Amino acid sequence: MITANENISWVTAHADAAHSGANIAWLNRQRKSALAQFEAVGLPGVRDEDWRYTNLRALKSNDYTLSAVSSLNIELADTTNPRLVFVDGHLDVAASTGLSDSVTSLKDSLEIVEGHFSSTLPKKPHGFTALNTAYAHDGYVVHLKSGQRLEGVLEVVFVSQSADAVSHTRNLIIADANTQCTIVERHIGAHGTVYLNNVITEIVAGDNAHIDHYKIQQESNDAFHMGGVFINQAKGSQVKSHNIALSGLVTRNDIYSNLLGQGAHVEMNGLVIGHGRQHIDNHTEVNHAVPNCTSDEYYKTVLDDHSRSVFRGRIIVAKDAQLTNADQRNNNLLLSKNAEADCKPQLEIYADDVKCSHGATVGQLDPVSLFYLKSRGIDAESATALLTFAFANEVIERIKVDSVRQELTQILAGELLSGLEELV
Amino acid sequence: MLKVTNLHVSIDGKSILNGINLEVKPGEVHAIMGPNGSGKSTLTNVIAGRDGYEVTQGSIEYLGKDLLELAAEERACEGIFLAFQYPVEIPGVSNMAMLKAAMNSMRKYRGQEEIKAGDFLKLIRQKADLVEMKHEFLKRAVNQGFSGGEKKRNEILQMAMLEPKLALLDETDSGLDIDALKTVSHGVNALRSPERSMVLVTHYQRLLDYIVPDYVHVLANGKII
Repeated sequence: MITANENISWVTAHADAAHSGANIAWLNRQRKSALAQFEAVGLPGVRDEDWRYTNLRALKSNDYTLSAVSSLNIELADTTNPRLVFVDGHLDVAASTGLSDSVTSLKDSLEIVEGHFSSTLPKKPHGFTALNTAYAHDGYVVHLKSGQRLEGVLEVVFVSQSADAVSHTRNLIIADANTQCTIVERHIGAHGTVYLNNVITEIVAGDNAHIDHYKIQQESNDAFHMGGVFINQAKGSQVKSHNIALSGLVTRNDIYSNLLGQGAHVEMNGLVIGHGRQHIDNHTEVNHAVPNCTSDEYYKTVLDDHSRSVFRGRIIVAKDAQLTNADQRNNNLLLSKNAEADCKPQLEIYADDVKCSHGATVGQLDPVSLFYLKSRGIDAESATALLTFAFANEVIERIKVDSVRQELTQILAGELLSGLEELV
Repeated sequence: MLKVTNLHVSIDGKSILNGINLEVKPGEVHAIMGPNGSGKSTLTNVIAGRDGYEVTQGSIEYLGKDLLELAAEERACEGIFLAFQYPVEIPGVSNMAMLKAAMNSMRKYRGQEEIKAGDFLKLIRQKADLVEMKHEFLKRAVNQGFSGGEKKRNEILQMAMLEPKLALLDETDSGLDIDALKTVSHGVNALRSPERSMVLVTHYQRLLDYIVPDYVHVLANGKII
């Protein structure tokens, strides 16, 4: 039982919930220890430095129950890709395709994930991460054995449909040496539904593994999304993380990569489109632990109405990590006087022979570009839409997988180019 | 067509144009020459409706309308085109997309139907050939990664597509080598017609060897002398 604590009382209802694999010793140990961690730290608050711009009052004011198994009650668009479907955090086998020896659910793969589960997490996880470890009930597991390639694109859709439910989902991509995969995670929910989606994806990239991970967040406008993508990279591995946040009421993502083997490369691309009173907080961290690694980070934000975003980008270069090449850019576009972007690049460089660059901008659309379009007869509203689309689409253009890029371009056009979609 | 009368313009309180008078009739090509900083670009920018310029005195009449009352996009829809001295790069928007948006916006303003996709393609290819632009450039983002010459060619392509009544060419020759200058001039000359007027702004004589104007004005210290 979780001890009485006002801060965490809303979660006590979970304590007695049954979990898969409860009789597995290593998992039980982790859960116990995570619960102890949670009791120590509780849910984050604005007094925590890493949460000072993100107010969780709305999240905490609601009561949640651990999500139960339910069957999919919305229709998903057809796809030619293999696709796993999770409903309120539970795999819906009937709605899923693409399950195989390499693609399984967490429940069925506890032996595979032993030794990897939680191996990528930060040393001092915050409350949501600790809760995730304590309560993770399902998720997808992709396990690629040495030399194995997962052809095409694997889609995983997380549908949240039950009001006031919380799901703690843990996904793992365990890619041994010389493997390759492309995984697209979508998080969707019906607008108007309040729920909490607490989801972590761990990526363990072996030597020379190539992993493309996409996270497309289109939650309910009233939902809370607490996400983590935690990556460990061995030598020569290349991981690309794409983090696209389009809705949700309060979203927090922690995207961390530990570059642990020489020649590893991580690319982190992020795009935030904020409307209404949305709040999107992205914390990224690249830990250059060894020499000769590269990181390339590009986060862009478009904020309208009263929306707010936070970007914290930390790059750590260890004393021995010579010849590191790290680049970080964060550009924020404010379309409304009431929107606010807080950005905080943090570089901690302990080596002396490195190349690290970073740049952050917060601003409005370039007036000369606007005039250029208007001087071609394009009305002010369309000119603004076109330039906003162009600003955001620069992140999408970094996507190498044609089908994913095209789809995201269409989604973006739908969001930003009302009436002009046919132009792209 | 265009009648500029006693135009005084200042930027941030600093007086740039001090009483410009200029009348352009249909089909005429006027060249305005003068040293850097004399106010040539200011004049074309004010006619095209760029923000940041304060008209303190005088008027601009265009086709019988008070031009200063119209927003930049309305002026464009009324047939004014400005070829920029420094064409703007717009990453993420293709040349074709921008031109299609521009054409349809103008058509809407004039109460016309949108252009059919097939007609648009045919037209843009034909106009690209006129300025000797490779068709692959049409799909590229507006001016992104274009050389100086390619950007200027692209301006003339846009002009050819939008068929203005009054074209303002701001230093269209700057940064061009002789071959590019010939191509651009050829494009401009092909667009000369008895209904279309042009105002060329330049500080080099050489452009006028290729595009022969009807009138040459010299601008110095904010006045035509």
